[in-house]
Amino acid sequence: MDPFLLEALLNGVLLGGVFALPALGLNLVFGVVDVVWLCYAELVMIGMYAVWFLYTQAGWPLPLAFAACLPVVAGLGLALHVLVVRPLLTAPPINQVLATGGVLFVLQGAATLVFKTDFRSLGVDMPPMELGDVFISGTKLIAFCAALIGAACLWAFLKFTYVGTAIRAIARDREVMPLMGVDPKRIYLIASGVGGTLAGLAACLLVVQLDVHPFVGLSFGPITFMICVMGGLGNMLGGFIAAFLMGLIISIGGFYGSTELSYVIAFGFFILMMFIRPQGLFAR
Amino acid sequence: MTGVTSTRRGLMQAGAGVALAATVPATARSQSGPLRVGVMTDLSGPFAGAGSQPLFWGAEVAIALFNERGGVNGRQVQIVSADSQSRAEVAINEAERLLGQEQLEVVTGIYSSAHAVPLSGRFEQSKKIMWITSAISTAVLKDKNMRYVFRPTVHSDQYAEASVSFIHEHAKARLGMDPDKVRLAVIYEDGPYGSGVAGGIEVEAKKRNMPLVMKEAYSATAPDLSTMVTKLRRERADIILHVGYNPDITLFLRQAKSGGLRFKALIGHGAGYSQIDKLVETFGADVNHVCNVDPAGTQMLDQSKLTPATAALAKVFVERYSARHQVRDLPTHASMGFNNTWLFLENVLKPAVTKTGGMSADALREAALLVDIPVGGSIQGYGVKFAQPGTPMSGQNERSSPVVMQFEGAVAKVVWPTAIAGGPPVLPLPAGHTYAAR
Repeated sequence: MDPFLLEALLNGVLLGGVFALPALGLNLVFGVVDVVWLCYAELVMIGMYAVWFLYTQAGWPLPLAFAACLPVVAGLGLALHVLVVRPLLTAPPINQVLATGGVLFVLQGAATLVFKTDFRSLGVDMPPMELGDVFISGTKLIAFCAALIGAACLWAFLKFTYVGTAIRAIARDREVMPLMGVDPKRIYLIASGVGGTLAGLAACLLVVQLDVHPFVGLSFGPITFMICVMGGLGNMLGGFIAAFLMGLIISIGGFYGSTELSYVIAFGFFILMMFIRPQGLFAR
Repeated sequence: MTGVTSTRRGLMQAGAGVALAATVPATARSQSGPLRVGVMTDLSGPFAGAGSQPLFWGAEVAIALFNERGGVNGRQVQIVSADSQSRAEVAINEAERLLGQEQLEVVTGIYSSAHAVPLSGRFEQSKKIMWITSAISTAVLKDKNMRYVFRPTVHSDQYAEASVSFIHEHAKARLGMDPDKVRLAVIYEDGPYGSGVAGGIEVEAKKRNMPLVMKEAYSATAPDLSTMVTKLRRERADIILHVGYNPDITLFLRQAKSGGLRFKALIGHGAGYSQIDKLVETFGADVNHVCNVDPAGTQMLDQSKLTPATAALAKVFVERYSARHQVRDLPTHASMGFNNTWLFLENVLKPAVTKTGGMSADALREAALLVDIPVGGSIQGYGVKFAQPGTPMSGQNERSSPVVMQFEGAVAKVVWPTAIAGGPPVLPLPAGHTYAAR
């Protein structure tokens, strides 16, 4: 096999891993709370700043900065739910979208005010893995493994805990579950916290690959939404698989065509899927 | 109730005043009071960190200094600033505000070519001056016979010519290769800036019979460029010519390193590559010997080649800018912001206002077309003479010129044109360098 093609395939899989975590978090929140967090990528951005600040400015060890990032972004997720989403739960969907869209601009503006428009970098680097002519980014590989572990933990939480079961049940039928004794308010809050934690984990994985700046969400936010819709909004497994599919389309499209063309193919595929399966590729 | 009455009366008086003012011709109003000049840059969004912020700061220093030195016969210049937020639609809306509500006769600045292309048509249509201090795309002016759009800085074809000439000139002596054996690859952001420079590189390479083994565009907000890195390795490019903003530049450099990409030289073309401090902060010694094409930052030039008055001006600028903004090496955009704004204030605004008493766009245009500054007469070294209406590049400074600079120890040094270079370039990348071909 052409080693460069093999490398492009691996790149695609690793890129899918980068997209998978935010897609999981966004889908979890939508599946349970039924509200799209348009500002999800900006929560990730705040998490990236938290890691950058703690590591480069406060001098914390990197693992500790990563560990601190998770509760910070989880807290933001909770705050977003309590302050913005909860009061609008019965409002028309357009109001909810506009409100979380407003939070997007607030977070971008706040980050610009506090951190200015500079591009911040951790300056952390991992040597690549060389397998003959194939190079695999060490940073991406670790991020990919961490994404898989994060996804596995989420799956175990949803599958084997009482709260996880309640979350899945609410996602299935939000009207009936309260009759079974599940408090939806509490479940919404927990799902928002878990969604925030996943955004925090995504921040930890992205901050070693991308520079942080107030608009970094533009790099992965739109494509994360596309992945969620393609996998079926609220369908976590669907979103997870769609992330890898999208990663492979971009990578292989770029290999045989051009980087620019690869995104045209990816977006074209998305539009086509919206015609063929508007409910998402993996919707039940 | 006196207060209420007086407030109502005051409001009515104020309203009458506004109505009366509206009937006074704009030319009459512009005969006195401050001289209002628009400065449109990207103070937020990705372009801010890729050079647009220092572009604004440079302009700020120029206007403050101009005012300190008396303005125009005692009349001060007042900045009316606009943040185009790194978005073309915002730039268009802000231009409408500056031209409509603010009734400005001139807007300076404009960092991005993606903004300059649509804006130039709007300014031309409204017959107001657009004074471009940064956006380089040749397409802004070429074959458009612009009469109200002026660009004192370098255009994209000149960037292309500089980088290809630089490699061609040094191929045999430094790379030990015939120029027609040097494999060039150009990667570029897909807006007018990247496309303009990349198109120029293709033309220049063909002219010199140098093989261009890869030419590929990408979006500046792309989250991943690793497949492009794989293809660059496959094509075994000797020289990578990169036209990017930021953060795509840092993403590329990072992924090039982790993707095992090696080359003999990397040449950037302004924007993010001109933010030397930022690159060093992120990559440390890895950016040593990386080259960049841009108009020279004034601190890079041999000051003895400037006229004494210009050298003195450059000194004041560097001192003021450095005192206000903590930098190791001034980004070239700071010099561009200062220089091109100063050229406007001193050589266009001042004579136009002195001659006509006002600052109408037509008076400014007339003054701009008369500017004739020899080489060495601006703090970036180049002279100024605008291509006249009816010529293919009408409005473009025909005396502008870029340099090729090379980073060493967090400082940029001019390495081309050879006549003004501080020394020979380090080519190819030395053994042991992270990106050096093995």
